[in-house]
Amino acid sequence: MHSTKLGWLLLAPTLLVLFFFGVLPFIYVLYVSFHQWNPFAVNPDMVFNWAENYRRVVFDAQFLASLGVTAAFVFFAVISELILGYMLAQAFMKDFPGKAIFRTIHTLPLIMAPIIVGSIWKLMTTPSIGILPNLLDNWFGYDLNIGQSAIAAFVTTVIMDIWHWTPLVTLTLIAALVSLPPDPFEQAQIDGANKRQIFWHITLPMIRPAILATVFIRLMDALRTVDEVLMLTGGGPGSATRYVGVHIFKEVFPRTNYGYGSAISVVVLYLTIVACWLLYVGLIAPRNKKA
Amino acid sequence: MTIPPDMDEKLDLRDSEPPPPEEEKTGFLPIQTNWFDRLFISVVIWVALSLVWFRFIEPFGPSIWISNAIALAVAVLIITKG
Repeated sequence: MHSTKLGWLLLAPTLLVLFFFGVLPFIYVLYVSFHQWNPFAVNPDMVFNWAENYRRVVFDAQFLASLGVTAAFVFFAVISELILGYMLAQAFMKDFPGKAIFRTIHTLPLIMAPIIVGSIWKLMTTPSIGILPNLLDNWFGYDLNIGQSAIAAFVTTVIMDIWHWTPLVTLTLIAALVSLPPDPFEQAQIDGANKRQIFWHITLPMIRPAILATVFIRLMDALRTVDEVLMLTGGGPGSATRYVGVHIFKEVFPRTNYGYGSAISVVVLYLTIVACWLLYVGLIAPRNKKA
Repeated sequence: MTIPPDMDEKLDLRDSEPPPPEEEKTGFLPIQTNWFDRLFISVVIWVALSLVWFRFIEPFGPSIWISNAIALAVAVLIITKG
């Protein structure tokens, strides 16, 4: 059989699944986003309203504020996960007593559903019964109350995300580090390069594609964080942790404003794609020789 | 273990004529792009321009269709010369 035809034949089931579960829902959301549609309102019909929902999105102060806190959340969470994940990956490259059990325990958060992670952190941070407020009060005299302090709530959601997702970064970077050839490192050591030079000039450039893939995955995941935060803080206090995912949830489900919620979803998807594309262009896209 | 003489022939799934590699264009954009990249960049610029227009320019009067016309012109420029 012609290999191109064979290739398409083998890809066909995946492409069909992607089309029905990825492309069609997106087209539907795009279609809904150009309509005024609240099925539980006085007029439950879908009414085409051109780009009115998008016009509303750019003036929605609550949405713009949620974009700001989401950007801060993504920045702190992803950077921390990357640094911690790399350090843990380097630690796992070395042999130490209890390495196997530590690696297993360290990977446990990954297998938990986000809603369970949210529940655990809710229990750990609830004043009077949670272990964290108790320890912080005993050790530092700090009163942790994420229901009252906006900064404490924000920092707690960031730490929860780091706790949940750093193992993913670690595993990805371990895979990248294991696959590196030993020759350049041996040559650099023979030439007298120190650890910092080896990191900046050999390790980092060689694992850059893996780092970028990890950042892409974490960036996309962090931008659509909903359940953990909804469980832990409910988006509060005020709107301190009302990230875009939470904002969309509150717009679509309790208020059943499907048209406007779809428009916000499309804008967030657009911003996610643009952020990933800019990273790609900035870090690995092949340069134009003329430019 | 002996390998049958016609083994290579049976496993060879390569094209008799491999398809030509996709052409990467070098235009005014700072990165190498194919036609789909340029279409993608055009759509990204169109959406960004529309949102900025809604927020900052439309309140003063100019219609969104002006933004669409500009975006279309930019898209043609990027797709043909980018």
